[in-house]
Amino acid sequence: MQSGSTLEKLPIGKDSDRATLDRARKTLGTIILGKDGQIGLALSCLLARGHLLIEDLPGLGKTMLAQALARVLGLSFRRIQFTSDLLPADIVGVSVFRQEKGEFEFQPGPIFSQLILADEVNRATPKAQSALLESMEEYQVSVDGNTRALPDPFFVVATQNPADQIGTFPLPESQLDRFLMRLELGYPNEENERELITGEDRRSMLEDVEAIATADILLRLQKAAAGMHMSEPLVDYIQALVRQTRESPDIDIGLSPRGALALVAAAKAHAFVEHHSGVYPDDIQAVFTVIAGHRLKPAGNTTYRSAAELCQHVLDSVAIP
Amino acid sequence: MAKARGTDGSLLESLPWTLFALVFSLVPHFQFLPWWISAAFIVCGIWRFSIEKRRRPIPPTWFRGALALLCFLGVLATYSTVSGVGPGSALLAIMAALKLLETLKRRDQFVLLFISIFLVMSSLLREQHLWSLPYLLVAVFLIMTAWLRISSAAGQKARRSFSTSGRLVMYAAPLAIAMWIFFPRIATPFWSVPMDTGTGTSGISDTMSPGDISSLSLSDAVAFRVEFKGEVPAPRDRYWRGLVLTVFNGRTWTGNDPFRGARVHEQVVNSGRPVEYTITLEPTRQQWVFALDMPWNWTLERTFMGRQQQLIRARPIDQRVAYEAVSYLDYRTDVDLTEFARSFYESIPTQSNQRTQELAKRMRNTAGSDAAFIEAVLMRFHEQEYYYTLEPPPLGNNSVDRFLFETRQGFCEHYASAFAVMMRAAGIPARVVLGYQGGEMNPMGGHLIVRQSDAHAWNEVWIEDIGWRRVDPTAAVAPERIEVGRSGSMFNGAGAAWGFDMPSVLLHRMTLYWDAMNATWNEWVLGYGPDNQDKLMKWLGMDDPDWRKMMLTMIAIVIGIVLLISLVLSLRYRPPKRDRAAILYKKFVRKTGIEPSTGETPATFAVRVDGESVMPAETVDAITSTYLDVRYGPPNPQALLRLESEVRNL
Repeated sequence: MQSGSTLEKLPIGKDSDRATLDRARKTLGTIILGKDGQIGLALSCLLARGHLLIEDLPGLGKTMLAQALARVLGLSFRRIQFTSDLLPADIVGVSVFRQEKGEFEFQPGPIFSQLILADEVNRATPKAQSALLESMEEYQVSVDGNTRALPDPFFVVATQNPADQIGTFPLPESQLDRFLMRLELGYPNEENERELITGEDRRSMLEDVEAIATADILLRLQKAAAGMHMSEPLVDYIQALVRQTRESPDIDIGLSPRGALALVAAAKAHAFVEHHSGVYPDDIQAVFTVIAGHRLKPAGNTTYRSAAELCQHVLDSVAIP
Repeated sequence: MAKARGTDGSLLESLPWTLFALVFSLVPHFQFLPWWISAAFIVCGIWRFSIEKRRRPIPPTWFRGALALLCFLGVLATYSTVSGVGPGSALLAIMAALKLLETLKRRDQFVLLFISIFLVMSSLLREQHLWSLPYLLVAVFLIMTAWLRISSAAGQKARRSFSTSGRLVMYAAPLAIAMWIFFPRIATPFWSVPMDTGTGTSGISDTMSPGDISSLSLSDAVAFRVEFKGEVPAPRDRYWRGLVLTVFNGRTWTGNDPFRGARVHEQVVNSGRPVEYTITLEPTRQQWVFALDMPWNWTLERTFMGRQQQLIRARPIDQRVAYEAVSYLDYRTDVDLTEFARSFYESIPTQSNQRTQELAKRMRNTAGSDAAFIEAVLMRFHEQEYYYTLEPPPLGNNSVDRFLFETRQGFCEHYASAFAVMMRAAGIPARVVLGYQGGEMNPMGGHLIVRQSDAHAWNEVWIEDIGWRRVDPTAAVAPERIEVGRSGSMFNGAGAAWGFDMPSVLLHRMTLYWDAMNATWNEWVLGYGPDNQDKLMKWLGMDDPDWRKMMLTMIAIVIGIVLLISLVLSLRYRPPKRDRAAILYKKFVRKTGIEPSTGETPATFAVRVDGESVMPAETVDAITSTYLDVRYGPPNPQALLRLESEVRNL
């Protein structure tokens, strides 16, 4: 069902907020072709008030997805290109001495936007990375002893190249935990790739797209998503999944309680995005890999080659109550 | 610098519960405890709580030890012993209070709750009222709740603890009832509770000195209850005979040794119709047994009739007893009295009450015959200025003289004493009978209530060829006291006395209701002894019940109840899998003939089933989406019905 759903099949929500969400999803689908599942997950991530990490090879549309999200959701957008010489002040901003006023004035950095694209976050030094990651956790930044609140909503969409590329500083587990989801986009299929090659230029298409939602609508949607019904058996299911990650011999470090909470929040948001009457097992399975993938530490001797395979193995070994 | 060594405040959550359970268990003891123990208890409770609140250290060991010793000596000084119910519960209470001062951990609180249970149970050694059982249940319930509060994880809702402990008490109730019914009762207990002597003696004392008591307290307490088999005698015939006083020393009447008894059938000749009844006598801690004048037969064991036709039991009545009795209102006794006996019943100290003696002799001469003389004395009480009062002035020496000629105010004892002295002075054998007179019918319970306030004294005079005859001089003074009884008038204005404007009739009715309930309680619960148990066992079909059979039955029933409760609990426990929607879905899965793999969601399973084309895709999708809705969505009874019909139509 999940995999077979097309944009046209999406029912139109009753209230206008939902309809807006559905339209936003549809519009995103016209820009990022053939990635309906990933778009749903990205939207779920934002509705669950989480930050998103997109990990894939260059040229697969990571930046495009982030830009399209900001555009369609009507959020103020800034892009920070992470390089090895990026300094924290380049992110949060700096106080500049104004001659005419005779005082320091804070010059806000790019972080003071509603949606930040942290491009190639693993290229920067840990010092610069942590400046970003702290603000993601605290929703505020401290500059020169002053604490400044970040806008609400505040999302970070970070992209990173797989760690085996040259010149990267891989994010440690504790910092990966700050991201609610880690998403992989993957190659488009033949049909979509053909349309991509022959069709209109995606960048100019993006410029024509109008903002569909607003920050206020997004805040309301977040509230509604958090209120999704989660039945008792599915709480059992989540607990069983978490227990399995802790007990499986293939996994060294299983999901923490924070990981379990992330799973609940993401599953609720996903159920909301998918118009389910409550959280279904499919919602949990859909978000499980992107939630757990970057939080688990596989055992050294495991036969599973990727986090996705490992997560699928966990899903396959826990019965759905 | 010394380390701060206060409490860590971790008991703040559970300590109030424990304290409350403890105080609740102690409340039934309060009225019996010396005031300083109750006060110490409250002080210790508040002290301990404030220690926890302010995170102060608990008092040092030497201080606690000294305090414990001091309290022990205090109990010893108050009771001059440490054994018995009174000192025992006092010690228990004060040590529980002191235990509070060293309560630091959970374990200490458990000890406190154990003590609470012990306190609650020991209150039954003193009183077993009708309300004792509900109070006990509530106390156990509160103790269990406090227990749960201590042992449960922090943050459990109080409502949850209450409902859990309520359930636990409920599960225990059938076990307790079964054990109560079947545990073999024995006539003489293995142990006896040492009762506090000197306290709690109620009812009639075995001497009478009318001048000494200046006011008679009217206790409303029940002396005994009577259930008549046939017609109820009229109030003026309801003389409940107790003890007989025969010796007068000028001031005090005493009885003589009643144990040189004779058989009732040798003493009493009866005629007329017998009155059959059952008496439930409250404990008096005395040996006197009361019965309607004149008793002929009774079922109380080890009870004999003394020489003066008084009933006496070989051991004191220290718990409630019930006995059947037969009496004859019309009787003759001691028709032939020996010379020695006559002189015994005529003797009075010659030195005292001389004015009375002169008056009696003068009146006897004027009257001409014994019968006329008795009549004349009664007329004197009736016609001259004698008053019936419950608060007479004290009389001092020569009490009869002072009463007859000066104060002229008194209650039954004064008149009975004066009458007997006058009779004896005139050479007529006379004696005083103490007992109860009258009683109030309780229409609710159909029984007669005789209260302590119905206590009465009257006379018997010996007349040639007739024997002892009952004469009640009080009836001459206050006939309404005898005809109506005192109880009826007691409730006039009782409502006003309590400060609320309730019609006294209503109050009276409520009192009677309460009494009827108490009578039933006494008969069926507190009176459940070996006899009743034997009867009940036979009625239940156990032939020849003995303790082995009852014990085995009890064990079998207890095991049965435990199994039943476990069964009910295991049936009531429904794992979430077994809900209706899951069962229906399972039925659908069986019908498809395809085995879902572990971790396969209904939606992916539906895709697979559609691929196999075993049934129409619409059906599969409809059932799957309805099932997801019912099982994982918010409660939706319509969807469940839809799922049921969809699966049925397969």
